[in-house]
Amino acid sequence: MRKLIIIKYGEMTTKKDNIGLFLRKLKDNVTIMLENEPIKITYDNGRMFITCQYEHFESVLNKLKKVFGIHEIIVGYELENSEIETIQEALKDLLTKIEFKTFKVETKRSNKNYPLKSLEISKILGGTVLKEKENIKVDVHNPELTIHIEIRLNNAYIYFETHKGLGGYPVGTLGKGLLMLSGGIDSPVSGYLAMKRGVKLEAIYFESLPHTSNEAKQKVESLARILSEYNNEIKLHVINFTEIQENIYKKIPHEYLITIMRRMMYRISEQIARKGNCKILINGESIGQVASQTLTSMNAINEVVKIPVIRPVACFDKLEIIDLANKINTYETSILPFEDCCTIFVPDHPVINPEISKCLEYEERIPYQELIKKAVQNHEIIKITKQENKFEDIL
Amino acid sequence: MIYLDYSATTPVSYDVLESYLRATKDFIGNPNSLHSLGVKTKTLMNSANKQIAEIFNILESEITFTSGATESNNMALIGTCLANVKRGNHIIVSKLEHPSIYKICEYLETIGFEISYVANDQEGLIDFDDLKNKIRPNTLLVSICAVNSELGIRQPLKMIRQIIKKENPSTLFHSDMTQAVGKIPVSCHDVDMASMSAHKIFGPKGIGLFYKNSRVKITPLIYGSGKSNLLRPGTPPVPLIVAFSKALRLALVDIDKRENFVRRLNEKILGELCKMEGILINQTKYSIPQILNISLQNIRPETFLHAMEEYEIYLGTNTACASGNLSSSIMAVYNDKKRATSSIRISLSHVTTTDEINQFLSAFKAVYNRLNSLTEG
Repeated sequence: MRKLIIIKYGEMTTKKDNIGLFLRKLKDNVTIMLENEPIKITYDNGRMFITCQYEHFESVLNKLKKVFGIHEIIVGYELENSEIETIQEALKDLLTKIEFKTFKVETKRSNKNYPLKSLEISKILGGTVLKEKENIKVDVHNPELTIHIEIRLNNAYIYFETHKGLGGYPVGTLGKGLLMLSGGIDSPVSGYLAMKRGVKLEAIYFESLPHTSNEAKQKVESLARILSEYNNEIKLHVINFTEIQENIYKKIPHEYLITIMRRMMYRISEQIARKGNCKILINGESIGQVASQTLTSMNAINEVVKIPVIRPVACFDKLEIIDLANKINTYETSILPFEDCCTIFVPDHPVINPEISKCLEYEERIPYQELIKKAVQNHEIIKITKQENKFEDIL
Repeated sequence: MIYLDYSATTPVSYDVLESYLRATKDFIGNPNSLHSLGVKTKTLMNSANKQIAEIFNILESEITFTSGATESNNMALIGTCLANVKRGNHIIVSKLEHPSIYKICEYLETIGFEISYVANDQEGLIDFDDLKNKIRPNTLLVSICAVNSELGIRQPLKMIRQIIKKENPSTLFHSDMTQAVGKIPVSCHDVDMASMSAHKIFGPKGIGLFYKNSRVKITPLIYGSGKSNLLRPGTPPVPLIVAFSKALRLALVDIDKRENFVRRLNEKILGELCKMEGILINQTKYSIPQILNISLQNIRPETFLHAMEEYEIYLGTNTACASGNLSSSIMAVYNDKKRATSSIRISLSHVTTTDEINQFLSAFKAVYNRLNSLTEG
């Protein structure tokens, strides 16, 4: 009998012909996530198995909780064979270490040639447990301890402890998307949700020095770093937006500042996305939250690009977004008080129902195509990895 | 100068001092400040903390920086007791602890807690049966050091943990790992709480570490502002934290090779001292090689130490923290008063050289023969 970690897959088990692709990606992602752990991984179409030394279990477990595509993480025991006697002996041995009053046995049998049916196995093992321990009884509805038995092709597994995984698809299985990362609360959450559906992220950030500070950029880097912990080395595109923004501020009626600015951002993002083979734009827009996120505004802004724009938190309440931000640990960073592009030059009364014809008319006043070309050509790329090695020399 | 008192403290290594200086000069911001200088310092501090967390395979939030192991021990014992007064009032310690543990216990007794002392066998190993018997439903904590500071006796923490948790799953297990870190491999996963110190591993004085598993709740002993840590508020000493992190990383490089090297030095000394009459070797099969304790029987340890000083050789009596007293550790293992009042401690490290040991041995013989002849006369 040996202790090991068993992974139950997320939604990709519904895939038929290309499940292999999903599983290979998951294995790669798990391997990268556990790169500093001395582990061994094997897998089949139903489960992935990870063996490692006892003292590494907790950290391996914690790291697996950051891998998308995992439905459940199980700490279990693999038996030498699947004979019922072997299971009984192993169970007796394991139960000496556990105290409980009520229990049930749940058996899964993926090996359909096994001579006993699931219910029969549960019944036999339930009997074994009752004989072994005093003062305990079976409770199938609300047991203190659930004894899980899995009969697979060559082995049987026993486990009591399961942890919820993140679900979704392995990052990268669905291709790439470009996240418009502002430094606020919503966009990191949107990035997280897109990754959950298997999208690998690149990110784009607009800076407007000296109106925005270096700290604001560092904050965005920190947010990208938090997102990069989910198997996603992030390429962060930093666009110098100062010239465009100052032009807009000088030449365009202030109520249209935000609308035009967003149109410029969309245009630049689309170009960066196409160049980097990103198939979608992702942003943190939420319907009705601010003036630029009314349905009319969305129409007026979205109109400038052809690429699909995915807004994962479009229908979330602010509080729901904050909950998620807390869960993924971006909230504390997001609320650091540094100005970003969207919070400087804010008009008192931004237009709620912008007209596309007016947008086009106003945009004529600035040489935006030229400015955009310049911004795209000269943009900075920062590679964000989960390991910060900035202080290698001093530590 | 030949320094052979590494278990009392170590000199700060050049690389560590360099890091300390850089962190002091280049990172002047308060890590609690919002401006860029503060953020820069905080990032450095977090990286230093993260490095330690990775070394021990624990969470970053499970680390608290203290002024040293004594403070960490206070946090562990008093913090646990205060947080659990409703659940019990009993704690257990071994007879081989650092004096600071006994002082804390004395205090805890004055506020109504009961202390039991677990016995050990003749080799210094914790008596498992006695431990089992002493654990009660109201036992809040067991504190047993990973390595004893006087005799270097090493305890099997993993096994002790299993015994404790089997008897009473809610009893917490703390270990003072100060003498173990950097000398032998230790695992925080064997305990619920641990104390460590930088100055035993070629780091600066004034910085220690308190590890507490995230599931364990204790009452803070110090209150104040600052966001970094609830147990130890205030402005964190970033240069010290950086130096500690670096010292720890360096201490674990080739730890096995270093242990083997020191073992050879230890055996060399032992081989010579065994030939000399009247010297008792206070070493059991569980002693780590970095600590070699002997009793001179007829010579006062202080006299011997000062005589060795004339050769610029520096040794220890008992532990630096308990000098002048009867050695409680030697009493616990050998139960021999003469032995316990005449002990000296030779503590070695990987920077000790064979040449130093040769010089030490010849000085030792000269001093021993001179002083011994006086007492005999």
